[in-house]
Amino acid sequence: MKKLFCSLFIVLFFACGKEKKENAFDIAEASWKEITAEAKGKTVNLMMWTGDPKINAYINTYLKPRVKEKYNIDLMVSSGQGNTIVQTLMTEIQASKTESDLDLVWINGETFYQLQQINGLYGPWTSKLPNATYIDFDNTFIGIDFQQPVEGYELPWGNVQMTLIYDSDKVKKPPMTRSELLDFVRENPGTFTWDNHFTGLTFLKALLIDIAGGKESLNGDFNEEKYKKYSAELWAYLKALKPYLWKKGEVFPEAVAPMHQLFASGELWFTMSNNDAEVDNKIAEGIFSASARAYVPDYGTIQNSHYMGIPQIAPNKAAAMVVANEMISIEAQFHKQDPTVWGDGTVLDLKKLPNTWQKKFEEQPTRKYAPKRSEISKKALQEIDPEYMIRLAEDFRKNMIE
Amino acid sequence: MKQTRQIAILYKVIFVCLTVVPVMAGLIYALLYSFGIIGIMNNGFTGKYWIAVLLSDMFWVSLGYSLYIALVSITISLVFALSISLFIKKRNITISYLFYIPLCFPAVVMAFYSFQLWSKSGWISRIIYQIGGIKEISSFPDLTNDTLGFSIVFTSVLMIVPFFTILFSNLYHSEKLHELKKVAQNLGASSFQILIKITIPVLLKRSWFTICLFIIFVMSSYEIPLLLGKQNPQMISVLTMQKLQRFNLNDIPQAYTIASLYVMITIFVLTLLSIGGIKKRFITKRRAYA
Repeated sequence: MKKLFCSLFIVLFFACGKEKKENAFDIAEASWKEITAEAKGKTVNLMMWTGDPKINAYINTYLKPRVKEKYNIDLMVSSGQGNTIVQTLMTEIQASKTESDLDLVWINGETFYQLQQINGLYGPWTSKLPNATYIDFDNTFIGIDFQQPVEGYELPWGNVQMTLIYDSDKVKKPPMTRSELLDFVRENPGTFTWDNHFTGLTFLKALLIDIAGGKESLNGDFNEEKYKKYSAELWAYLKALKPYLWKKGEVFPEAVAPMHQLFASGELWFTMSNNDAEVDNKIAEGIFSASARAYVPDYGTIQNSHYMGIPQIAPNKAAAMVVANEMISIEAQFHKQDPTVWGDGTVLDLKKLPNTWQKKFEEQPTRKYAPKRSEISKKALQEIDPEYMIRLAEDFRKNMIE
Repeated sequence: MKQTRQIAILYKVIFVCLTVVPVMAGLIYALLYSFGIIGIMNNGFTGKYWIAVLLSDMFWVSLGYSLYIALVSITISLVFALSISLFIKKRNITISYLFYIPLCFPAVVMAFYSFQLWSKSGWISRIIYQIGGIKEISSFPDLTNDTLGFSIVFTSVLMIVPFFTILFSNLYHSEKLHELKKVAQNLGASSFQILIKITIPVLLKRSWFTICLFIIFVMSSYEIPLLLGKQNPQMISVLTMQKLQRFNLNDIPQAYTIASLYVMITIFVLTLLSIGGIKKRFITKRRAYA
């Protein structure tokens, strides 16, 4: 019995000791120097999507060694997309955990919206990062995520624009407008579709914005009246497309990966990607044939950024901030934008960079099979309020699937 | 003696802790979530999620579709497994190992294999196209993501047949069917009569509960219908995960409602089957004594 009490006392003593140590460091008040000192020797658990070998290679062979060498931080990656991150953090909050298993999470607007709903993110924190001075947070494609100001709760890491990908051997003139798309599918039934997940919904959002009057027409908070009016037109248009879609529009690929597979095997003539550099990556990997090309129709496509967030109860916030700061360093962003590495667009404002780096970015070899980013960004559309996506997903099921 | 009894109790406690407790904890959690008692987005007790699920076609269509896929898959699998096991009869270690191979593949791999095989641009379609069976690859019929669930059934059959073949082969020997067959032959029974009146009834009766468990297993499968199924109708696991992981966090309680309801129906059916089995055994025993 004596032994049991002694053991209990030791456990409680050390538990209290840990609490004291955590409380002693107030990250909100700490300077960057203090944050860097606190971060040294820590382990950062990053949860991110690990479905792309190039992205994984960038993290494993470039970022991990850099943070280890510079700050002695061990960056550990666990696999998980938006919904896994939300579920993990929700469960931790529900279980009243005081320390999350995660320190850093790779998210986009949809996940940001969900995490803000459950108060799952720590912030504001991004203004503490020295490299954040190179980012133009006034840029609406960076500082506003799904119509929500990021307000220091997430750090932009990369910027991409959705593109449609087609087989140039089969499609000589890709449809540039909604009416051209309808004509095209009538002439070539069964060759076009979109997936029943995030990418497909992003495509539908672009069509909805086009119907509503183009750029900025749906900016701002969700508007029920506008949604009802324009979505009715959208469903009418999609129903006109339906008989000529892949499998007569009775089924849609469950995600973008099976759609890529159908495109690679020739069953589909089109696929789509939220990353404008993906066509080059897939050709380089030998998944798509060299005749694959990416383009942006005249009605435009959504451009958005992807971000890093720190969970509210992350145990190593300081180390997470140091890793995030390294992720937006000029060198890391330059390397990431290289099409042979990943091809992910930088979030840095080139005007804010030193002249030598501006020149380097401008002279960086560009992709071969997708139009230049400067060209497609003219047709870039802003992400609309997340409520539009929730409603589109529900109504898509009611109007097109059931 | 006392020590042996204590060890037996300890094993039972460990078994309950490792199997029953986690499952019950999960079920209780799901029930509490579905009634709005726990969960960040919930605001206290409500029956609205249960009413929504019970009154919507979505759940019942999904349940019916899952049952249809499971019954068709199991029926076809049993026909194949019985035929193969009766054909092999003698224990053959090499063949047994060959049958184990498909059991090693995860469901998602088998689903991808079926997709590659049966899609319009798949192997079968290409072979038929090459030999002139179809004019265009696109005219190959829709056998993946189709309403009848052809490729879901095909993949399930691929995964189930080896298990039942091994099970029936072992039962054939353990039930001494070879000797029973000889006795029946001596009494003048034809091969067909032996098959219909002795072999098949004995094998099916002895594996009845396993068959029921496999029906539930197929009904609950996720990866195969996710890749090869349609978005409408959906199998029950796909529907649950869609509600759990899609964009609307307010749908999560509905996901837990669907999961709880499905588990309750399953437990109810299994209990009925068990009671039926016990009653049947009791009547048989009484007849034997009479």
